Amino acid sequence: MLKSIVQRGKIALGVVCALAMLGSVGACSSSAPQGASGSSDNKKILVIPKYTGLKYFDVSGDGAKEEGKKLGLDVQYIGTQDATANAQIQTITNAIAQKPAAMVVSAIDENAVTPILKKAQSQGIKVVTYDADADSSARTVFVNQLSYELAARTMLDSALKNDPNGGLVAFISASPSATNHRKHVEWMKKLIDSDAKYSKLKYVDTVQYSQDDATKSEEISRNLMQAHPDLKFIISSSVPTTAAAANAIENAGKQGQVYAPGFSMPSSMSHFVEDGTIKAFCLWDPAQLGAVSVAVADQLVQGKITGKKGEKVKVDGIGEFTIGDKGELNVDKPLTFTKDNISQYKF
Amino acid sequence: MKSFIRRYQWQEVLIGLLVIAVFIGTQLSPYFLNYLNLANSSVTFVPTALMGLGLFPIVVLGEIDISLTSTLAVSAVLYARCWEAGMPVVEGALISLAVAVVMGVVNGVLVAVAKLPSMAVTLGTMGAYRGAAYLIAGDAGINGIEGGYASLGSTWVGYIPVPVLVFAIVAFVIWVIMAKTNYGQYCYAIGNQAPAVKSAGISITFVKIVAYVLGAVTAWLAGVVWAGQYASARGDNADGTIMLVLTIVVLGGVSIFGGSGLTSGVVLAVALLFVVQSAMSLANVPGTTQTLISGLILLIAIVLPNLSRLKELIVKKPTTK
Repeated sequence: MLKSIVQRGKIALGVVCALAMLGSVGACSSSAPQGASGSSDNKKILVIPKYTGLKYFDVSGDGAKEEGKKLGLDVQYIGTQDATANAQIQTITNAIAQKPAAMVVSAIDENAVTPILKKAQSQGIKVVTYDADADSSARTVFVNQLSYELAARTMLDSALKNDPNGGLVAFISASPSATNHRKHVEWMKKLIDSDAKYSKLKYVDTVQYSQDDATKSEEISRNLMQAHPDLKFIISSSVPTTAAAANAIENAGKQGQVYAPGFSMPSSMSHFVEDGTIKAFCLWDPAQLGAVSVAVADQLVQGKITGKKGEKVKVDGIGEFTIGDKGELNVDKPLTFTKDNISQYKF
Repeated sequence: MKSFIRRYQWQEVLIGLLVIAVFIGTQLSPYFLNYLNLANSSVTFVPTALMGLGLFPIVVLGEIDISLTSTLAVSAVLYARCWEAGMPVVEGALISLAVAVVMGVVNGVLVAVAKLPSMAVTLGTMGAYRGAAYLIAGDAGINGIEGGYASLGSTWVGYIPVPVLVFAIVAFVIWVIMAKTNYGQYCYAIGNQAPAVKSAGISITFVKIVAYVLGAVTAWLAGVVWAGQYASARGDNADGTIMLVLTIVVLGGVSIFGGSGLTSGVVLAVALLFVVQSAMSLANVPGTTQTLISGLILLIAIVLPNLSRLKELIVKKPTTK
């Protein structure tokens, strides 16, 4: 009897220690409670990426916080590392409870987040989407890094920078439900079919899906190279996939025969650019994207803009942007990375 | 008797953890004790929690089913397609239920009749069912679900969200099955590899198939709740949540070796994980820290119940000469 009480005590002690850790970790990150009144003096803007821990999103969060500092706002970058719709919706639900003035969201599932974003709007919270849009009824403005057409052109241009003679292209998207990836591929196929500039390119009609997973991407790339001996380009809008494809090319010893010119981060590609496996790839500046999104959210909160077509948003140091159809604002500042400029970028 | 005490202790530990977690939650965020927010965010937890309840009898049997989240996706997209086709909600529910049952039977037959390892079988069906969900949903998925089809997922009864009621009812049903019926006793006996199982003439095959069907039915219900709650369904629904489902079961004190575990433990684990996640989320705890804490909790869940076993290993008493 006594022994069992002692043992229970020990278990309880272990539990308390573990929870104390939780408490102390939480304590340093919890900001002082502030009376968010929901009126215009509310400076709180919550930035919610698809999930955290991916450098691309974390850099966009840094850009958002930086812009917030400039504008005198309380910008927080929140979320979990769980890449699931459920986890993101839970984050958004708990964000609403904190009564922010605005939310900036990259939707992991454009449809599933719609009801919860509408709920946020009904409570007077301004909703801006960035990176990946939700249903247009659930947000006021979508800050799009590149229009779908420009994204497609940028990737094809980058392909031709690797080899101006063109060749066979294979596409890898994250998943059939990743809207922006789907639109990019549609545009690329259309451009190859119709634009003389890209007439030297051909494509494999079937699109492969990598779930943003590096291992899977590498396997798909390997299979593509085996199935199509004349393959010249593996193009993906997925940041982890492009780097994995470059790795697969290197491992297969196909340098100079196959290239991965799609979207990726300089930090994960510098190795392949230095050794010549990849001559050019592309993206945009995620920090800039985060900054523009916060500036747009701030102007919405202040009532300077309402999200109508033709309204202009000026962001110091970045540029002036005009809101287009359906509340879409295109930042349209693509970056193409080559051996000559890659060292300038720190993301 | 001894194992009974150990299990009873585990419920106490979970209650203790829950009290502490609630207290920390109130300290972390001024918004934590807002009832409406708690109720709203509990709804997002329900599909995962339902699958946890469904997985519980399977784990008691000493088996596993990681295809549950894919079963959810197939059920949700099929149910949504029925809405799109303008069928009455009862028909949509029954059609998707029938398909879910078939998916459960396939798992059960492959495990119990073909005697294949359940991890390998459900790893395979996880991919196959996921592929089926994508095929049914198409690229863009189904959006705008409303009316009767959304009733289980998005309505409230007074101050209580319907999904939470659904969870409570399923928890009660699972408790009755596991604690009050012969079937439940068979599950524990088979999980414990009790020698009496064979001589008593229990059909292990039948018990296992039923458990897989039960699991698939909870995943179907989770899919119906999901489609209503998010007013949409896509092929990738619930992709990646299987780890959280497993965490619920293991944290609930259900032995991964089979043969033990109680419904109350699973329900307490759901409550604990929900409180911890809500508290961290409300306090905007960074994602990396959240992952760390979730991992620690799972580790505690595995290590603590086996503490006495570990102790025996470390302080091995010298045997009498």
